[in-house]
Amino acid sequence: MFFQSHARTAVLLFVLIGLVLYAATGSYFAREIVVEIAILAILAISLDVAAGYGGMVSLCHGAIMGMSAYTYAILSVKFGLPTLPSAVGGIAAAAVFGTAVGWITGRTAGIFFIMATLAFGQMAYTLIFKSRWLGGDDGMGGLDRFDLSWLGINLGDSLSFAVYTVVCLGLVYLAAAWVLRSGFGRTLSGLHSNEDRLQALGVNTVIHRARALGFSGLLAGVAGILAAQHTLYISPELLFWTVSGEILIVVILGGLGTLVGPIVGAVLFVMLKHEVSEYTNHWHMVVGLVLIAAVLAGGRGIFGQIEYWAADRRRAGKEQSAEAGDA
Amino acid sequence: MLEVKNLSKAFGGIRVTRDVSFKVEPGERRVILGPNGAGKTTLFNLLVGALKPSGGDILLDNESIVGLSVSQRARRGLSRSYQKNNLFEDLTVRENLALAAASAQGKFAWMSRDSFRDKSVLETVEEVAEHVALADHLDMQVRSASYGSRRQLEVGLALATKPRVLLMDEPTSGVGPSMIDGFHRLLQGLPKELTVLIIEHDMDLAFDVADRITVLNFGEVVFEGTSGETRGNPIVREIYLGEGLEDA
Repeated sequence: MFFQSHARTAVLLFVLIGLVLYAATGSYFAREIVVEIAILAILAISLDVAAGYGGMVSLCHGAIMGMSAYTYAILSVKFGLPTLPSAVGGIAAAAVFGTAVGWITGRTAGIFFIMATLAFGQMAYTLIFKSRWLGGDDGMGGLDRFDLSWLGINLGDSLSFAVYTVVCLGLVYLAAAWVLRSGFGRTLSGLHSNEDRLQALGVNTVIHRARALGFSGLLAGVAGILAAQHTLYISPELLFWTVSGEILIVVILGGLGTLVGPIVGAVLFVMLKHEVSEYTNHWHMVVGLVLIAAVLAGGRGIFGQIEYWAADRRRAGKEQSAEAGDA
Repeated sequence: MLEVKNLSKAFGGIRVTRDVSFKVEPGERRVILGPNGAGKTTLFNLLVGALKPSGGDILLDNESIVGLSVSQRARRGLSRSYQKNNLFEDLTVRENLALAAASAQGKFAWMSRDSFRDKSVLETVEEVAEHVALADHLDMQVRSASYGSRRQLEVGLALATKPRVLLMDEPTSGVGPSMIDGFHRLLQGLPKELTVLIIEHDMDLAFDVADRITVLNFGEVVFEGTSGETRGNPIVREIYLGEGLEDA
């Protein structure tokens, strides 16, 4: 069940402001890192909604993001639509794809759900990879960023673009938190806990799961637009299943089912990657070791574990003061 | 209210439910009796739609509900509690009851408002918690609750949907005498217009609360009558109480 504690708000604001400051004071390279973190964090939040709260561990979130990016490219490059409606179309495509996957896999659970999402993701990847119209494995270029000159903002500038992605990250977090605190989000937690009983209480769980993956897909779609606008070039690699695996690693690293944890995980993952790769090409190994440590420590992830310790200390403190009261 | 016509269910060659027919009037308290393996829980699973029958029909308010899914039947007012606790283990007692109330009140898919802060959901939670004696334990994690509390919550979840027909599968299974008394009071406190079907092993409780009793054996209805008629019936004594005819 989702709750927004003061500690979560504080960590969220700390990270968001930290990212903006890092971009503002850093080099072009630092801003690239901030953009990378923001996009990965949005994907991780999207996956946390599905997996952490809904219990649907998906291996097609990379593909969902890629669908959004490709739809954006098709609408704006092939059909010459302006960037804003193209982006709306891209996000809508991701939501529809997510809903469809959720609907079709609605009666599967556990490992079968994971395999089904993997298959859907790879199907989308293969379709795009083989499509000459979409450039095949060469990908597509000629993309544009939003024209925000009417606001006095030039998104072509690396700092503006970095701040823009952080703002998007904040908005995505708000949207996710809002929905998780609604009746819909409450029911999603119930579905995760005991799907059969929820059905017996009168909820059509297939529809609910489909809608939840649709919403999760919508958030991943935002990341797709940002990814396309970031490099102004897209390739089928966006949809490859290892991208989805990486998102899952980030969520587990930060803390499944905490919503703030995935953001922390994204910061850590990207930082580790860049710091460690200065010394060795085997940065994956270091990330792997950190992941193993996080899983063995109880599987709560880094943010989740700290939150757990804090709650534990609060409980102990309460018991102590209660005992003192008794004495 | 609820009518079952020639209901059958076979798993492969094994016929678990054989040609079962009975009719329950609105507000009636009906107890289903029968030894282990008589097909009582299977009958409930057929009624709520967890199993598809091999034949026969189920009518709720004279309308067939055989083609409806579990959730659709629940929305028609059919609610059940389980013999084995089937709860939302990761959540608190309050959250469990709120999920049930929000589901029944159609607030489970609200995107912009919190169903757990909705006034009528909260009222139902309080009311049901009072009813199943969990009002003081609302913030307890279900996982760490006692077996007795979980048993009470099991019935509470079914009640929180404000059903028209309540199916209770051995609500007192595994609990002590004091809780059986408590459950007795709970039953008497239920709204008079609520139709209740109970699978019950405790004979005293069964004879006491039942308007009518249906006795199942090997998937078949072998007897139906009032408590008094059932108590004195030789067939029932033989199969259910395990007494030989010669002793009776």
